[in-house]
Amino acid sequence: MLSISDVVIGILQAAVIMALSPLVTGIMRKTKARTQKRAGAGVLQPYYDIAKLLRKDEVVSDQSSWIFRVSPWINFVAIGTAAFFIPVFLAYSPFGLAGDLLLVIGLFALARFFTMLAGLDVSSSFGGLGSSREMMLSSLLEPAAFLAVFVVAVTYGGTNISTITEAASGSALLPHPQLIFAAIAMFVVMLGETGRLPFDNPATHLELTMVHEAMALEYSGKSLALVEWSQSIKQLILFALIVDMFVPWAIPQYPGPMAVGLGLSAFVVKVAVLAAGVAFLESSVAKWRLFRLPDLVSVAIASSMIGLVFYYL
Amino acid sequence: MNRQGLEGYAGGMEARFPGRIRRVGYNHNEIHFHLEDPRDAPGICGHVHASMKARLATVVCTDERRHGNGFVIRYVFEKEGEDAFIFIIVPLGHGNSFPSIILHVPGASLYEREIRDMFGLVPAGNPDTRPLVLHEHWPGDAYPLRKDFRLGTKAGRREGVYPFLRVEGDGICEIPVGPVHAGIIEPGHFRFSVLGENIINLETRLFYAHKGIEKLAESMAPEEIVRLAERISGDESVANSTAYCQAVEKILEIRVPERAKKIRTVFAELERAYNHVGTLGGMATDAGFAFGAARMGILKERLMSLNEALCGSRILFGVNRIGGVVPDIGQENKELILGRIGVILRDFDKVAGLLGSKSSFMDRLKDAGRIPKKAARDLGIVGVAARCAGIDLDTRRDHPYAGYNIRNGRTPQEVVRDQIEMEKRAGDAMARYEIRINEVRDSFGIILGLLDLDGDGLCGEVPERMEPYQSALGYAESHRGQTLHWVMTGEDNSIFRYKVRTASFCNWQIMGHCVSSDIVPDFPLVNKSLDLSYSGNDL
Repeated sequence: MLSISDVVIGILQAAVIMALSPLVTGIMRKTKARTQKRAGAGVLQPYYDIAKLLRKDEVVSDQSSWIFRVSPWINFVAIGTAAFFIPVFLAYSPFGLAGDLLLVIGLFALARFFTMLAGLDVSSSFGGLGSSREMMLSSLLEPAAFLAVFVVAVTYGGTNISTITEAASGSALLPHPQLIFAAIAMFVVMLGETGRLPFDNPATHLELTMVHEAMALEYSGKSLALVEWSQSIKQLILFALIVDMFVPWAIPQYPGPMAVGLGLSAFVVKVAVLAAGVAFLESSVAKWRLFRLPDLVSVAIASSMIGLVFYYL
Repeated sequence: MNRQGLEGYAGGMEARFPGRIRRVGYNHNEIHFHLEDPRDAPGICGHVHASMKARLATVVCTDERRHGNGFVIRYVFEKEGEDAFIFIIVPLGHGNSFPSIILHVPGASLYEREIRDMFGLVPAGNPDTRPLVLHEHWPGDAYPLRKDFRLGTKAGRREGVYPFLRVEGDGICEIPVGPVHAGIIEPGHFRFSVLGENIINLETRLFYAHKGIEKLAESMAPEEIVRLAERISGDESVANSTAYCQAVEKILEIRVPERAKKIRTVFAELERAYNHVGTLGGMATDAGFAFGAARMGILKERLMSLNEALCGSRILFGVNRIGGVVPDIGQENKELILGRIGVILRDFDKVAGLLGSKSSFMDRLKDAGRIPKKAARDLGIVGVAARCAGIDLDTRRDHPYAGYNIRNGRTPQEVVRDQIEMEKRAGDAMARYEIRINEVRDSFGIILGLLDLDGDGLCGEVPERMEPYQSALGYAESHRGQTLHWVMTGEDNSIFRYKVRTASFCNWQIMGHCVSSDIVPDFPLVNKSLDLSYSGNDL
């Protein structure tokens, strides 16, 4: 049974993820702008965007069905649920009993499934194009994600995220060289899952080249706010997972005012550094040819395989 | 080309087609063959195109019914490797149709469709009967370039549907894109037929930005048309106004001072340079490489502010006038150019090196949008699009004008080296990228070479009166390729007919051919690498 304090901690951790996720997007956009010698919008701009969109009316195509309308909600709920399993400022998540890493990947898949359906539902050619590309990429990325997760799971004895983070924060990286390979794989998967370069260009206006944006092209107003916010939350969850699994330093094991403060600031610093790093990487590559992306995913799969071999050696 | 060379062509043609040619006329580097009978046109044009190796440069139709000639069509061919334009002039008499030459000269199709829309003359034998310039809502009986069509006529509207080519089969999807696009670009419609990501067919629908430039010019004074020519396509203002001014200067036999010629060339090259830099940045944007795009954008901005410092306009409006140029390049401006170009060139080399070292960017360019050499030759493609496929065309070298003096500067070894270089070109976006990089450097070289300006004036003596019904062809090489302006004077110092053919009009045709082995997400990059103008095409 969960105690009241556990419930509060669990809700707080999920709330931190939801509240900070637009900030991470803002940091990444700012970093990209600076590397391109632009001033760029402030890091709080994604919050203003969401607030603006929430006040706006929606335009819904008369060719669309209920799928188009409920898809943003399913998206938000699925990804929001995943946020409850992620340790943020403590090494465990009280709701972790209800779901593990595999469920997180499953919830992402559910969200993606409905996003793809919604892309097809509006019967615009761009939506269909985006859905077909997303299907191609996700059928490659999901196995790669599972494989990377399994390397971590066999190392720390389970797919429960709390178990992994607790074990990780108590051990060192050096005795587990397989984790380095898993981290490489996880990083590639994260780039693909969050629609970052070289997979997808989140900043483009060219409909013909879009993947994720093409499916969301027909959304406006509150639905668009939900879609964008869900995307930010998903991104922060993936960042948090990487941070929890591979850089588990300064994560307190037990709650307390000092511990929470330390855990939270460590989390924010680690995620901000990771976000800025991803933004730098995005500035330094062009978008890859669509049919070359499987090569990149196979690098992730190969890396996880090497990790597994290292584990059994 | 000298008169003797042109007379050699005349002798050859008369021997080949005895009795078919009524009269031969000469005008500087133009030779005019006036035909007896329109029915001879396809055969003679085919001979000029195939045997004399001349590229169809433009087709001009004029409404000369008031002078008893009926409609007259002039097929203008450009002799490869020589400074000669061959005109096949066909008076149609009272007929309302003319024989199509597309079986002999495939590149003529668009011109014939244009003539049908604007003059109501039917190209007999052209299987493509769809409208080109005037869309399906334009009434069927209003032909804007006829002389009895008054400027300002409200033409009315009718309903119609444009028949796109339908590709049918299992799994074929159509993707309509535009005419309103997501970015801030001009209007144009692209209809993709795709099988998965592979492009099976691409049809381009243009002329949404039709402004009636040619009709408008007939109501304007010749010196005002310089401003009109600048506005045909804002980013090739110097090339278009140069081509127009040179046509008028050729008619009026104006001696343009050497200094003015050099200044004209400096501005033309500044225009080519800033646009090439802009296109390179655009290619980086469309490949998703924002960092390279930003660096190129900074360089373009510096070039444009240099433009502003030199002539008061960032896009070089107001440089040309008939007989010469407006802005002078004095000692102060000369030092400004020397200083700024030096710095820009140094930074450009850095950025070009950076782009060249990005394997992800280079990989996108390689093999994307391959232009088949045969199609490029048949359709009469010009500029970078032709050069990337190994067709060595450059108006600045082939028909030297203004201050250009390119051919004389090359040693035989360099000529051979350039030819080998041409043969190696694959026609893909990579080739276009490399050509643009080289042309920016060449432009800077040309500018620096022209800065020792001599003393004489900025404008030649312009006669008060123009002889009516004199015509001439003006030409210039913009960053997109050859632009041709044909001018015929009218009574009372007016312009009777002003025909413009920019590089974009020729090059849009190749779009459907060059993407046929590409996938959909590569299209924006291919499109940008060709860098075509909508406004300059739609007129």
